[in-house]
Amino acid sequence: MVTRLRRFSTDPVAKTIAFILTVLILTGLAELFLYICFRNLDPQCIPVDGYFDSTEFVDLMGKAAAEASDALFSDELPGNVPYYYYISDGNKELTNVENPDKSFFEQFEPAFCALENGQWHLKSKSSFPYSSRYTFKLSVSEVLKKSNTIYIAYPKEYIKSLEQEWNQDRTVVIRLVTVAAAGAALAVILAIYLAAVTGRRPEDMELHPGRTDSVYSDILIAVLCFLALAWYLLYLAAYDLGANDTGTLTASHKLTLIVFGAITLPAAALCEAILLALIRKIKAGTLIKHSLIYKFLYRIYDYAVSLFDGRAFSKYPLTRSLFYRQLIFIILSFVFVFLTFVFMLAESLAVIIPPVLEAIIIYWYIKGNNRTYMDINRGFNESLEEQMKSERMKVALITNVSHDLKTPLTSIVSYIDLLSKEEGLPEPARDYVRILGEKAGRLSNMVSDLFDLAKSTSGNMPVDTEKLDLRKLIEQTLADMNDRIENSGLSFRVKLPEKSMQIYADGKKLYRVFQNVIDNALKYSLQGTRVYISLEETEGMAVATVKNTAGYEMDFTAEEILQRFTRGDKSRTSEGSGLGLSIAESFTRLCGGRFRVDIDGDLFKVTVSFNLAQQ
Amino acid sequence: MPAGYARVDNARILVVDDDREIAMAIEKLLAREGYEVIKAYDGMQALEALAGNQVHLILLDIMMPKLDGLSATMKIRESRNIPIIIISAKSEDSDKILGLSMGADDYVTKPFNPQELVARVKSQLRRYMHLGDIANGPKSASVLRTGGLCLDTEAKQLTVDGEPVKLTAKEYKILELLMSNPGVVFSAEQIYEAVWKEVPYSVENTVMVHIRRIREKIEINPKEPKYLKVVWGIGYKIEKI
Repeated sequence: MVTRLRRFSTDPVAKTIAFILTVLILTGLAELFLYICFRNLDPQCIPVDGYFDSTEFVDLMGKAAAEASDALFSDELPGNVPYYYYISDGNKELTNVENPDKSFFEQFEPAFCALENGQWHLKSKSSFPYSSRYTFKLSVSEVLKKSNTIYIAYPKEYIKSLEQEWNQDRTVVIRLVTVAAAGAALAVILAIYLAAVTGRRPEDMELHPGRTDSVYSDILIAVLCFLALAWYLLYLAAYDLGANDTGTLTASHKLTLIVFGAITLPAAALCEAILLALIRKIKAGTLIKHSLIYKFLYRIYDYAVSLFDGRAFSKYPLTRSLFYRQLIFIILSFVFVFLTFVFMLAESLAVIIPPVLEAIIIYWYIKGNNRTYMDINRGFNESLEEQMKSERMKVALITNVSHDLKTPLTSIVSYIDLLSKEEGLPEPARDYVRILGEKAGRLSNMVSDLFDLAKSTSGNMPVDTEKLDLRKLIEQTLADMNDRIENSGLSFRVKLPEKSMQIYADGKKLYRVFQNVIDNALKYSLQGTRVYISLEETEGMAVATVKNTAGYEMDFTAEEILQRFTRGDKSRTSEGSGLGLSIAESFTRLCGGRFRVDIDGDLFKVTVSFNLAQQ
Repeated sequence: MPAGYARVDNARILVVDDDREIAMAIEKLLAREGYEVIKAYDGMQALEALAGNQVHLILLDIMMPKLDGLSATMKIRESRNIPIIIISAKSEDSDKILGLSMGADDYVTKPFNPQELVARVKSQLRRYMHLGDIANGPKSASVLRTGGLCLDTEAKQLTVDGEPVKLTAKEYKILELLMSNPGVVFSAEQIYEAVWKEVPYSVENTVMVHIRRIREKIEINPKEPKYLKVVWGIGYKIEKI
């Protein structure tokens, strides 16, 4: 039951409906208030029992009484008043009835008021509920002379129509206020409901932030305040626009109501959305933390704290003392300068004390800094030495492993040779020795390749860079490998430029690069295909390419082929260490060039490029 | 032949290596060629063996206990000028240069090719044995020398460690040009112009082929030439030894 209620209450549809309802009710209430104002309706009439207890009635009587009081001095009344009157100051008499007898006026009770013996009477009470508007006129002592007498009464028909009108208005007000109260109550309930379920979802118990929640709290609050203020000013403007005494609705009133509603509706929606966002933040406990002001202040606070708890210097421990020393130096210097001025103004002899202290501080500051710089230098040298040491150890490791592998290999190769020269060996044994010899040879090639690679990739290979002609180097390499190329059954298409291509590189290493690349083409090309070798200048670079058609399916990527020990054919049966291209890549980089492998179907392409030397 | 020098065939060789199996293998390899072999397992032993025996050539490892190969080379060079071949697992160019500058005559890296080692031993022995002949031979300006290479420009005759080598006319001219200027790098065009006396036009391949042929005749291991070197991307030169 509880879970079902929860599921329903947190349902997005229910929440959306509640939200829309709240907005509509709020807008309606605002419209209602404006309407009541425009109609000149006074909600104060609700607790009043009848028209004769209402302020309207008192006002009516008061207005008439004030006019009559004026007549005591001006001796005349406005011609056409809706009431009967009798005004006398003891000598003169003013009246609009034929028989100005008190009993005549009394018959119109309670719409009757009188001034007798310096005392006002209304509704047979000796007090007059003065309205502030008439107090002055009714209460001056000239009026309250005992000789003055005033009787005022409204005709019954006239009062009746007013009473009817008042009653009608009261009914309307009661109805409107009831509706407003109900609406407000509903709005409050809905608002409480929304505040309770906002951020919750039926599927879990977690708090889900809305989209607006990423906006900082203080920005939300600022927008909310601005909206509320703007809306209130609009309300005041609309109120002034419609203020009149007639109590009837004109066309301009209706237009104002429509415009006001049209503006209030989105404003209310926005305000409510912001409020809900703020509530979600309160629920998540991030209202304050997720605000610009908090972030800003926290940043400052955090920085200040970090200066003193050592965090700011955790990466630069050596500069920590520098910072503190600087801080103390600046503050003390400031204090001393200030004190110097004070003493100078006081014309005191103590004026020499601060400069002396300042000199001491400067000495302390410079001395301390020098010590810190020395520490820094020492630390730097130590780390440099440490690095050099590990570098040396790396070289030593490679050399030692190399020695340990080569020594037994030397014995193997030598004894195989001795064995092969041994006479009287049976034919199968001779075969075995031959195989051993081949494999030992391959092993020693691999060991040598491996150490070349290890050295070049670890940066422990000396590079002897000189200016050389890349075109010439490729020609030499091709000529050097001429026998193998001619016996390969492949045709080489070599396209080299007429002019020389001067680059800076290590000739021996670059020869290994092209030797290995061409060697790769010789080993893995399809029989009878062509190998294309070209060299050209592109954008200030000397770009050499070697393209061949693979004799097998290349199911690997360009990156894989360059990785150590990856071999074109995964079966790893053919000769070679599988390091040729890796060495070529590493050596090219060592010489400052770029090495790139592209595989496109059966096309295998190696691109070696170098920056051309400045002429 | 000067007194005291044995013939090439029965020369006595001192093999120094802390790895006994390798020393023994080398002994067998050399014994098969008819040489007499004495073994030592560190630098100190080598010096002792040298003091007590007539030795014509030393094969010396570098990384050894007590006294390493380089120090032993220096010690031996103080009093003797017999050929020393270093056999080491150190294969860096800088190691080779260091070994040769300490006074070694040749440098072989492990693992070595047994046939190549034997060839180098023979070459060094020949040079050593024939040193007297060469030194007493015609000392005219017409003889160009680089290490074991000796080019008689009058007789148009090349000997490598005393062994005569046959060259074609072009090969001879190339070698003459390079040996007249040891250590100087010549481009293929320069060589072609000087030797063929023609305007060079895409001659790299032609020159390179000749260089390779010459190498096969004068170098023990043409893949790691000692005399005739390619300066990659620039040209060719005869090493100044």
